[in-house]
Amino acid sequence: MPAPANRILTTHVGSLVRPDDLLAFIAKQQEGKPYDVAAYESCLQRSVADVVKKQVDVGIGIVSDGEYGKSISWSRYILDRLSGFEERRDKTPGFRSAVAGKDRRDFAEFYEEYEGTYGFVGMGKAFKTGTWVVTGPIKYTGHALIQRDIEDVKRAVAGSGAIDAFLPLVAPASVVPQRIDEHYKWEDDALFAIAEAVREEYKAVVDAGLIAQIDDAFLASVYDVMVPPRTLADYREWAEVRIEALNHALKGIPQDRTRYHICWGSWNGPHTNDVPLKDIVDLVLRVNVGGYSLEMANPRHEHEWRVWETVKLPQGKYLLPGLVSHATNIVEHPELVAERIVRLAKLVGRENVVASTDCGFAQGPFARRVHPQIMWAKLRALADGACIATKQLWN
Amino acid sequence: MAERILTTHVGSLIRPPQLVEYIEAIEKGLKVDMKAFDALLQQSVNEVVKRQEQAGIDIVSDGEFGKFRSWSFYVLDRLDGIEEREIEVPAGAGKDRTLFPEFYAEYFPTQRLPKRGTVVTVGPVKYKGQAALRKDIEIFKNALKGANVEGFLPVVAPASAAPRFKNEYYKNEEEALFGFAEALREEYKTIVDSGLYVQIDDAFLPYMYDVAFAGTDLENYRKWAAVRIDALNHAIEGLPEEKIRYHICWGSFNTPHVSDVALKDIVDLVLRVKAGAYCIEMGNPRHEHEWRVWEKVKLPAGRKLVPGVISHSTNVVEHPELVAERLVRVAKLVGRENVMGGTDCGFAQAPHVRRVHPSIMWAKLESLAEGARIASRELWGRKAA
Repeated sequence: MPAPANRILTTHVGSLVRPDDLLAFIAKQQEGKPYDVAAYESCLQRSVADVVKKQVDVGIGIVSDGEYGKSISWSRYILDRLSGFEERRDKTPGFRSAVAGKDRRDFAEFYEEYEGTYGFVGMGKAFKTGTWVVTGPIKYTGHALIQRDIEDVKRAVAGSGAIDAFLPLVAPASVVPQRIDEHYKWEDDALFAIAEAVREEYKAVVDAGLIAQIDDAFLASVYDVMVPPRTLADYREWAEVRIEALNHALKGIPQDRTRYHICWGSWNGPHTNDVPLKDIVDLVLRVNVGGYSLEMANPRHEHEWRVWETVKLPQGKYLLPGLVSHATNIVEHPELVAERIVRLAKLVGRENVVASTDCGFAQGPFARRVHPQIMWAKLRALADGACIATKQLWN
Repeated sequence: MAERILTTHVGSLIRPPQLVEYIEAIEKGLKVDMKAFDALLQQSVNEVVKRQEQAGIDIVSDGEFGKFRSWSFYVLDRLDGIEEREIEVPAGAGKDRTLFPEFYAEYFPTQRLPKRGTVVTVGPVKYKGQAALRKDIEIFKNALKGANVEGFLPVVAPASAAPRFKNEYYKNEEEALFGFAEALREEYKTIVDSGLYVQIDDAFLPYMYDVAFAGTDLENYRKWAAVRIDALNHAIEGLPEEKIRYHICWGSFNTPHVSDVALKDIVDLVLRVKAGAYCIEMGNPRHEHEWRVWEKVKLPAGRKLVPGVISHSTNVVEHPELVAERLVRVAKLVGRENVMGGTDCGFAQAPHVRRVHPSIMWAKLESLAEGARIASRELWGRKAA
């Protein structure tokens, strides 16, 4: 646990809505247009300082940098930080096939409308990405970028009143799963090369005294793409190897400074073919981290708190349940947040629960799951609910 | 009595596009082939009744397909003694809106809000909508023929027919409200007499706390609400309770709702309404925790609770296990025989409104039915019918 357990601590999944002035720089970057690098860096620094302060103000204890330093998306930012990949803007299906599952087939008309308004998987109309091709050995090259992110958040946290800070980083399974590989002979070779590369990022973050949160939305959401026609057993086989790769990446990194986030894709869609948590919880718990961040606030996964009636949380591990959802504008009542915390704490122990969100609020710079005013109200409701739960659990 | 949890919803469902085209043309005053419209309306109601039955809904509605303007403003065309004028009646701030001004500035332009003027009472309020109402009933009853379901027709409560109005005829506001009540009584009675359930919709009752009382002045708000509940009881006096359902909600916009009045602060007023069933939001995250209100408040004997266990404010489809959990915990407090599965609100509060995509609406209603089946097994064991 990140701090003495005499109350319910608060955190969230990491990405927060970017301010407009920062977005203007990121838009230029992504369009390949020239921009003032020094002005961008100082805008980024200022934005991270602001967003850390705001998190503390609303009552979040373990804060993030909002993922403000990342390009493209929560997972594809890594392409700026790896060698061996090449982007091709041709007609190959690219990212689209990575999420083209049963939900999309069952609700085709809905998705067409939704993405017409909010962009592909709700990533914003400005979101663009091509097909990524492996053309050489994959190595980590992002040392300068991760150091900048570390420094920005550490500078912001110093004296802010935050209890701790984390940086969200991508898991091997979520590094462009739909890539075309022209270099490695076997898919697993690429996967383990990615694992070794991203380890450098994880290690840098933990060595700097921050918590590394490993994001793996693809792990759970690929089920919907594979099954049917394939089976749960096929999917689990696919997932198992990726969890092995992640554990390979985590080798030697202290568990108490790492946490693992999965979700089922954060777009506001029906999600009727999501794999149940009970079918993957054993795999999730195999990941050698301290905390597990799981959706429990949206109505497709809210009932899964009961999974912990039968599954035992291993000694020394903690849960980060999602208690507020980004899939509605309605702000969760703090009493509801408290109820969700308390029922889970009674199953896994009050000292093993850190209050969190289902997912981030902005999975890429141009994504915005709710209006920023609502995002902040939700984070405040989360903190208020944690206070109520603390009183109930430690009175 | 069925040994299972029955299912219903709040009433309004998304209209087929062709029907919306007709309604919009009629509302614009264009010349429309009314025979063709009536035939289309009958066909649309037939289909929506069948689709509800297929989804597993036990007590179905006509989708409110026959209503113009909105779930509440339709009634203004059915009342005499009122005028709609383009004048402003003093409006409260609406606290939610003042707390989230930038959000609302973005959100409201994306919503087509139904237009209406200020209602002014200029003479005795009388019901003149007999023909329109009889048509709604007839079309609905035709559609119900041969279907293995019961039917309810949603209509508006006095408080929501004219949440804010200007009185130029009656001695005082209270007398005017009772005037509205007497007129609306005809609508309620005609529906009950036809054998259908009547559902009286009163979204404005809780919603006005935020709008007219700045989400703070509970005492004056309760006075405002109490007289409206009295008026409603006057309207339904003598009508069979078991055929009446009362629906409240806090406004169905997908907005923060942080200054909604708490159910615990109004539940005594709500239960004063002499209705057989109460349809109350419990499916969205601002009101979900209020199932616990029933730990302390006793549901009067013979009354039923219809908790909303499905929300229209997210595209995520409720898992049937969650629906079951929400139903079972309420059933354990108020008795399994007193609970029906419902939705938070309608899916289309006006002909052109669509809270979610229709395919998601149907998936949610199917999930409601599946969740009720799971809950029934938990509550009655294997003998659940």
